[in-house]
Amino acid sequence: MTDWIAVLPIYQDMFLAAVIACILCGVVGTFVVVNRMVAVTGGIAHTMFGGVGFAYFAMSVLMVSWLTPMWGALIFGLAAALILSLTSKMKRIRQDSMIGVLWALGMAAGVIFMSMMDRSVITPHSYEAILFGDILFVGSSTLIMMAIVSAAILVIVALLYREFQILTFDSANAHLLGVNVPLMRTILYVIITVACVMVTNVVGIIMIIALMTIPVAMANLFLKNLKDTMIYASVLSTVFAVFGLFLSIAFDVPPGATVVLVIGCAFVVAILLKYVMDRSAVQSSGT
Amino acid sequence: MREDMNNELPLRIRGLSAGYDGNPVFEGLDLDLMHGDFLAIVGPNGGGKTTLFKTILGLIPPISGTVEIFGGSVSAGIVGYVPQSNSIDMKYPISVEDVVLMGLRVKKGLRPYYNKNERDAAHRSMESVGIFDLKDRSISELSGGQFQRAMIARALAPSPKILMLDEPTASLDPGIKDCTHDILRDINRDGVTVMMITHDIGNIPHGVKRIACMNRGMIINDSPEITDEMIRFGFHCPPEFLRFNRKMDYKYRCACPECEEESD
Repeated sequence: MTDWIAVLPIYQDMFLAAVIACILCGVVGTFVVVNRMVAVTGGIAHTMFGGVGFAYFAMSVLMVSWLTPMWGALIFGLAAALILSLTSKMKRIRQDSMIGVLWALGMAAGVIFMSMMDRSVITPHSYEAILFGDILFVGSSTLIMMAIVSAAILVIVALLYREFQILTFDSANAHLLGVNVPLMRTILYVIITVACVMVTNVVGIIMIIALMTIPVAMANLFLKNLKDTMIYASVLSTVFAVFGLFLSIAFDVPPGATVVLVIGCAFVVAILLKYVMDRSAVQSSGT
Repeated sequence: MREDMNNELPLRIRGLSAGYDGNPVFEGLDLDLMHGDFLAIVGPNGGGKTTLFKTILGLIPPISGTVEIFGGSVSAGIVGYVPQSNSIDMKYPISVEDVVLMGLRVKKGLRPYYNKNERDAAHRSMESVGIFDLKDRSISELSGGQFQRAMIARALAPSPKILMLDEPTASLDPGIKDCTHDILRDINRDGVTVMMITHDIGNIPHGVKRIACMNRGMIINDSPEITDEMIRFGFHCPPEFLRFNRKMDYKYRCACPECEEESD
């Protein structure tokens, strides 16, 4: 049996990283879900893999030492966000087609760049760590950066809350109410991209969508207010992520995948709970 | 400012052409809206009504011509807009009060909350359309008519001079339509200039002062009543089937076999 008192200090950074990621995803993910941008977020996240591969290639072959995988992911993610933002209003290009193109190209570019890198210069993270997360090895510097960037995003969301609410509820009226729709849409895409880069440390590129959408979808079942949805999604996500991390330590299984599985199971329970609540409400109103 | 607005027409359109990707949906359109007007533009789907609305609201840049709202461009707070209800995601987590407060975003400022004055204005607007007791309800819990009134309250919250409505009573039950028509008539009586578009002649309310027919990119026969020419131009139904329907409080109803079958 795991000696919890002894091991917890070792995992302190892992828990802190998970809590920061969950709060960030609860807030940003709410806009992703209510604005039906889940596929867009998936496209951005997967395109980031190309950036990670390119960063390894640039660092090892081109000797561009500043271009770390996180910067590579951010640059490719922002490029994807910009392309998706620009094409979202184009009549001739379907946005879901563009998401598919970026999704596949990003992954393919990542694989090609990783195969072309010089492994004698830099030892890259494994594919598994990049795609499914490596929260055990989140260092103090990464943790501090995650905290600062997340705090900055939360401040921006607080200041632009009304604009984002109008934009995601009724973009036609947003324009009439004086909201700069293209600017706000671009800021929202950038925030989503930066949040994806931060969360990559916790659950990896492939499972970002889980933290962004499942807790929000769960909160959305019971709540009728955007702010409450953000708060409850963050709290639920944190509780289940911490529980998932404890399980991963106890059973020695991958932490990122365990967190996602726990949150997924909680979502199923929430749907059943909502179904029972609705049925009992109908029955009580009928009697 | 107020005097200037009184001297200018609420809406003045001259030689307006607009469309998509450079292909005009309508060309050379002229239209005036007077102070206190209640104009209904009726016509079949695809006739250019929504494109006209979008151009007036500044959502589509005109290819040529001018749109003047009180002598200037469309600005926040002057025009209230009620979109088609099917353009809104009814699962969006938001209360009726928050929807109405959105209309007050015209008072700018980077802050995540609305102040007391804004909340008071939103409450007055909700009271004016009879939905104050629903203010804490989620929009997903509203009926079609209640949601439509919430959207009207949002448009009225900043006390606009012009209210524009896109198919305000489409897909509403007859009784709810009547209620919405009464609200629009009262708003117009309070001095707000109202302009609405509908594809269904049965959705023209009693309080309407002018009716225009729009089809094939043209507006014809701007008059206080539906005319035979309008029917021939805008619809395929023979004019002799047009009925004035007092009982249901609709101004007009088409009783041709095809339309009767649709309404059944």
